[in-house]
Amino acid sequence: MRYALQRFTQFLIVFFLVTFGVMVFMRIGLNKPGDPARTMLGGTVSQELIDSTTAKFHLDSNYFVQYWFWLKGMLTLDFGYSAPNNMAVTTYLKPRVLTTVFLGVYSIFFALVIAVPLAVYQAYKRDRSFDKLSSFATFFFISVPAVVLAPLLKYVFIDWLAWFPRLSSKIYPWDDLVGHFKNFFVPVLVLTIPLAAVWTRLLRADMVQTLQSDFITLASAKGVPPSRVLWGHALRNSVFSLVTSVGFQLGGLVGGALIVEAYFNMKGMGSLLVVAILSSDLFTVQAVSAILVACVVLVNLGVDLSYALIDPRIRHARALS
Amino acid sequence: MSATAELISADILLATKPPRRRRKFPSLGVVFAFIWLISLTVCTLFAAYIPFIRDYDTQIKVNGKTGRYNLGPGWTAWMGTDASSHDVFARSIHGARITLMIGVLATIMGLVLGTILGVLAGYFGGKVDRVVSIIVDCLLALPALLLALLLVYRMDDLKSVYTWLGWLDRKWEITLTLGILATAPLARIVRAQTMGLREREFVLAARSLGAKGGRVILREILPNLVPAMVTVAITGLGILIAAEGALAFLGLGVERPVTWGKMIIDGRADLKRAWWATVFPATFLFLTVVSFNMLGDRLARRFDIREAAI
Repeated sequence: MRYALQRFTQFLIVFFLVTFGVMVFMRIGLNKPGDPARTMLGGTVSQELIDSTTAKFHLDSNYFVQYWFWLKGMLTLDFGYSAPNNMAVTTYLKPRVLTTVFLGVYSIFFALVIAVPLAVYQAYKRDRSFDKLSSFATFFFISVPAVVLAPLLKYVFIDWLAWFPRLSSKIYPWDDLVGHFKNFFVPVLVLTIPLAAVWTRLLRADMVQTLQSDFITLASAKGVPPSRVLWGHALRNSVFSLVTSVGFQLGGLVGGALIVEAYFNMKGMGSLLVVAILSSDLFTVQAVSAILVACVVLVNLGVDLSYALIDPRIRHARALS
Repeated sequence: MSATAELISADILLATKPPRRRRKFPSLGVVFAFIWLISLTVCTLFAAYIPFIRDYDTQIKVNGKTGRYNLGPGWTAWMGTDASSHDVFARSIHGARITLMIGVLATIMGLVLGTILGVLAGYFGGKVDRVVSIIVDCLLALPALLLALLLVYRMDDLKSVYTWLGWLDRKWEITLTLGILATAPLARIVRAQTMGLREREFVLAARSLGAKGGRVILREILPNLVPAMVTVAITGLGILIAAEGALAFLGLGVERPVTWGKMIIDGRADLKRAWWATVFPATFLFLTVVSFNMLGDRLARRFDIREAAI
């Protein structure tokens, strides 16, 4: 419990530091009065508008005051105001968050569905030709950057085979289920492949080690069927790196989503953020990065705490310390 | 007489010698990685003196005219020509120069910063450790690519405000950014390794002889960190190169002369018509990343460093 609290405070500190850092960093160098508002509004705007925006968002006060007001807004789900779009950030963020969440959830799900059985089978048939071949394949796929994979898969599936149509704007499963999956298939594939490869390698390495330990020999010796040994005994003792990696890869996944969204012209959070950064849309950048940081931090916290659930040894070791 | 005695003694000597372990030939992948990286580096460094590599902005004319994608892969231009009828092969080679330079410099920067942070945290523990781990967590909390975008874009702006930042061009901006990105994972691994080394007997021996903290770190701990650092740095180099491609892809790359990411994104619209303008730079990028991963993987197995397998 003490451990959990300690982790929690550390993650809270990280969240505040990073969001504050992003805010300050977006504003450094805008020293002249009215500068932040002018950058935010973009183009040529009247002095009155600049003044009113500055006053409205306290853009002339010091960073701590601004941060305080921003934080207060965040707590009431008011993420600020996007000047280039002349809209509250919250209203136009919602559908975009959904797109990215679909991308992320699908790719994590499919990656796990591919990785876990593959790794278990590889470890079971260690050093056979299937294992060697698929190990080589996973190594290959780990190294494919999203920048390379996206054009390749687009060329194969969309341009050449034409199995999947060009991406339309119909994205919700409750509008058109088939269209939804057709839309998401190739982008999700781009994210899934490297992820599945990383996880397969991690899990395989751990499984191979676990399968050599004594309790596995004992289990098989006393007549536990191999499938129980594999999926019950061995898998449970090998998932640590995998669980850690799920937390760790989340940041990378968002980065990949950034590229995928940019390449396939999807309206998600990543592409939104790119546009926001490039047009100095202060509040959008702050809002999106805060959401992302919160996600990463929470997932990592969950991963840390879930160790104790998976492994009683850790639970007891921590209870003693 | 004496000759036979010598022969016999030599025979006995040979027989008593432990059988020499035959050095295993390195795996095919490692050999390929070496060949690819070395030939790429050589081609890149001496591009101006190698006859079959054109200059990156030479336009190839067909029947005296330039045109969009006027040549497919063939004898004249091995990998075809791009939208402004430049040679894709030559541009890929020239693109490697900036990419490799940025990757190597950023890795060196990440190594220096990451080692300092990691060793301090791992050796002294306690408060120092808490502070360092918060810094590292902060760096890892924002998705790497996002942090890179933010840094590069803002550095562009800051340059116009503060004149003393005038020396920063895109190349240095990206190098600095990627260096910062490389710091966090390196610091983590160095910290973990240092914590392990700190408890070892030779460190205790040095300490009991009266060695101060600085000397223990420099003479006892750092040399033992080298294998881990090299392994992670090489694996990281592949990741950084991919990240550089991604940045270029998002429009924040080095504008001139060329980079792989920019070539890939430029050919996007005409993928169907001229696949070669995208596929070949993508292959270059892929093969380079694979090579670094291959070497990193081999080293990680050689030195038994599990953390490197990210």
